[in-house]
Amino acid sequence: MARISSDPLMVGRVIGDVVDNCLQAVKMTVTYNSDKQVYNGHELFPSVVTYKPKVEVHGGDMRSFFTLVMTDPDVPGPSDPYLREHLHWIVTDIPGTTDVSFGKEIIGYEMPRPNIGIHRFVYLLFKQTRRGSVVSVPSYRDQFNTREFAHENDLGLPVAAVFFNCQRETAARRR
Amino acid sequence: MLSSAKHQRNHRLSATNKNQTLTKVSSISSSSPSSSSSSSSTSSSSPLPSQDSQAQKRSLVTMEEVWNDINLASIHHLNRHSPHPQHNHEPRFRGQNHHNQNPNSIFQDFLKGSLNQEPAPTSQTTGSAPNGDSTTVTVLYSSPFPPPATVLSLNSGAGFEFLDNQDPLVTSNSNLHTHHHLSNAHAFNTSFEALVPSSSFGKKRGQDSNEGSGNRRHKRMIKNRESAARSRARKQAYTNELELEVAHLQAENARLKRQQDQLKMAAAIQQPKKNTLQRSSTAPF
Repeated sequence: MARISSDPLMVGRVIGDVVDNCLQAVKMTVTYNSDKQVYNGHELFPSVVTYKPKVEVHGGDMRSFFTLVMTDPDVPGPSDPYLREHLHWIVTDIPGTTDVSFGKEIIGYEMPRPNIGIHRFVYLLFKQTRRGSVVSVPSYRDQFNTREFAHENDLGLPVAAVFFNCQRETAARRR
Repeated sequence: MLSSAKHQRNHRLSATNKNQTLTKVSSISSSSPSSSSSSSSTSSSSPLPSQDSQAQKRSLVTMEEVWNDINLASIHHLNRHSPHPQHNHEPRFRGQNHHNQNPNSIFQDFLKGSLNQEPAPTSQTTGSAPNGDSTTVTVLYSSPFPPPATVLSLNSGAGFEFLDNQDPLVTSNSNLHTHHHLSNAHAFNTSFEALVPSSSFGKKRGQDSNEGSGNRRHKRMIKNRESAARSRARKQAYTNELELEVAHLQAENARLKRQQDQLKMAAAIQQPKKNTLQRSSTAPF
């Protein structure tokens, strides 16, 4: 119990706001600019996350396939996220042990542009039942629902998740 | 700097205010004026002691309760007063003040509510002040009244007590209000108009003191609280992540060290042979 409640995903309300739980069965690393690895709760500047990161799946095998979803649950602002969620990226059919470049990008990467407040940007990795099992593709980035998407494509719970914080480059930061 | 000065002013005003309400109350309950003066001195020095004195009266009050009180009181006040003044007083005041009509009317009803009480206890409360001089009377009655609401939102103890007093006062006065408004409103009108330019501060605060702004403040406070909670959660999440990472790295470090030890041991076992071999090879010298 104590371990669960200290889970950064739980404390950061990713579990709860975006998904119901995370299995953490597979290790996933998200690395921006080839040296900035994403850790939960880290703050990354918009200039750092302009281009799509390298996302590696350290698990499964070449015959298992994964779907990566990047979403922002804090639109337009975290205090009143009435536009939750905004979809940033979807890549499907990523073979295990490889990285995202081997998958099929069905929604292109959109760089985070948080306007109001500090947003969480969440990477979720789902295990597909088979290759090409993701057929229901959202037509809009706005009002995306990760739970719905996972349900429609029979993805179940995410097997890995990581999130970072991001706010306007010019925002006042207390140090 | 400036805000602190305002605070002080609020405290002072609320203190005088409370004095007034207390003296008004004393006209009914005939309580000793010394208590009011003592509480005013404490409230002017700092808000906490007076809150303590209150605490004796109303046990322990949480922020939420106080806020509920404020909202309820202001709502009640509105509901009670809106029917009468809408017909009777509004046009007259509207002509004189070119500000937001709705908040203004509330503010003025608020003032009138306080003013209408005047006729009954005049002999006692304003005994010291000359009744003929209308400006002094309004300075006494109109300018102190706006701040309490601000003081309330600033969580000063004096303000809380004032609010508690205010509701019964207003309710008791709502009847008087209808009867006396004609006679009082005139005298008050002129004086208030004269007062407008000088007491812009009090007036501004007074307009803020209506229910809408109370709600806004309330909302803002809730929002701020949520934001603070989010901020804490963010920090906590980050800290937890770092702790996990530290634990993970420590475990990995320990594992690597063990591996290195094993390798060293293995090397140590193997090396002597090599050394002897090397020596033997270099021996012919």
